[in-house]
Amino acid sequence: MSSELMSRIIPCLDVDNGRVVKGTQFVELRDMGDPVELAIEYEQQGADELVFLDISASHEKRPTALKTVTRIAEHLSIPFTVGGGLKKLEDVKSFLDAGADKVALNTTAIYSPEIIDQVAHAYGSQCIVVAIDIKQEQQQRAIYSHGGRTKTDKEFTQWSHEVAERGAGEILLTAMHKDGTGSGFDCDLIDEISALNIQVIASGGAKSEQDFLTAFNAGYDACLAAGMFHSGDYKIQEIKSYLKSQGVNVRI
Amino acid sequence: MTKFITILNTEAGNLFSLSAALKAIGFDVVIANTPSEVKGSQLVIPGQGRFGTVMQTLESNNWLPFLDQWRKEQKQVVGICVGMQILFEDSAEDNNTKGLGWFKGRAEKLNFPKQPMVGWANISSSRLPEGAAYFVNSYAIRDASQCIARTHYGESFCAAVNDKTITGLQFHPEKSGQYGRQLLKTLLITNFKENS
Repeated sequence: MSSELMSRIIPCLDVDNGRVVKGTQFVELRDMGDPVELAIEYEQQGADELVFLDISASHEKRPTALKTVTRIAEHLSIPFTVGGGLKKLEDVKSFLDAGADKVALNTTAIYSPEIIDQVAHAYGSQCIVVAIDIKQEQQQRAIYSHGGRTKTDKEFTQWSHEVAERGAGEILLTAMHKDGTGSGFDCDLIDEISALNIQVIASGGAKSEQDFLTAFNAGYDACLAAGMFHSGDYKIQEIKSYLKSQGVNVRI
Repeated sequence: MTKFITILNTEAGNLFSLSAALKAIGFDVVIANTPSEVKGSQLVIPGQGRFGTVMQTLESNNWLPFLDQWRKEQKQVVGICVGMQILFEDSAEDNNTKGLGWFKGRAEKLNFPKQPMVGWANISSSRLPEGAAYFVNSYAIRDASQCIARTHYGESFCAAVNDKTITGLQFHPEKSGQYGRQLLKTLLITNFKENS
């Protein structure tokens, strides 16, 4: 019997000071609940992984974030990625020690890309996800750092190649212009980096089960969403049943 | 009823989820840095780190003679991921390091469509429960005479081996959701019999 890797659905918890929040286009944050309760709920719903983004990411709030990560890890039996404000190899170590399986790096990877090599060397490529926040602006695209606040001079395909070459295990690609809009994942982006030997997670814009189907058919390895799960509009297993009926290889 | 199980600390990563998984199925978990700290008659070798450094740690912390004796006494060992690979003779990951050599064969870098293999794949087996398990690896054993489960990602390879009390799992049961919990119970509690 042959099988290949399954298409993954990954709920994301954006956590600020111990609470899950959700905003539109990276602003207007609303309280969506307790991260531990939501994590347990999503695993039961059939989530294939969980991503935790510490969006406060300030030095003062770091101990709170670490404690929350540990509380979640104690209850989870699926892979668990943590990101947000990780600046040094020691930050990576402290989140892994707290119970995370992988770390997601964004701003630090942009300004000190050698940290990708360092994490890959110290813990293996499977441990590092590089998050790329991209925004379509008229005819141009821009890569942003600092949680979508700072425009950088990185070029999308070039940067994607670089992170893959430096040893990242996965790319988490967030289309900022799609985030919170419910207009579906950006499926043009994956075309441009599909030749890379690296898994890519789509993020930003999911509203319906159809959006997941379109993204997997376009070539994404995984899809990440937050709002549509937090709101209770969709249960993960409902989306998976639909995907399975459409021929997508998912874990039921 | 509490029963002890020991995780051998290979000092190559956090043992958090493995420890939590074993606790969740009812064990008292001991993490042993050296053989003198082992409790119970079941030993788990965790799945983090690379072949060479894990073997080095086993050697410098005096695990090698202990493990050979443990095997002679037919006590149980479950090796996960690289913990399975070191049960074999050697690995393309670190050519100059010998494994335990309990199983014949060698870990190779496989032709995965994307490297490393990270994600869920179905395993097919006549002895283990079938289902989707979570894999994280670049290297694996293509074939072994004691292979009891296989999977496929770009090419077919061995997902689990077993010989009497020694079992290797290429995937991570501690990260494989309810399937993984069930599988750990099958291995560690009911000894390959279906759970009641």
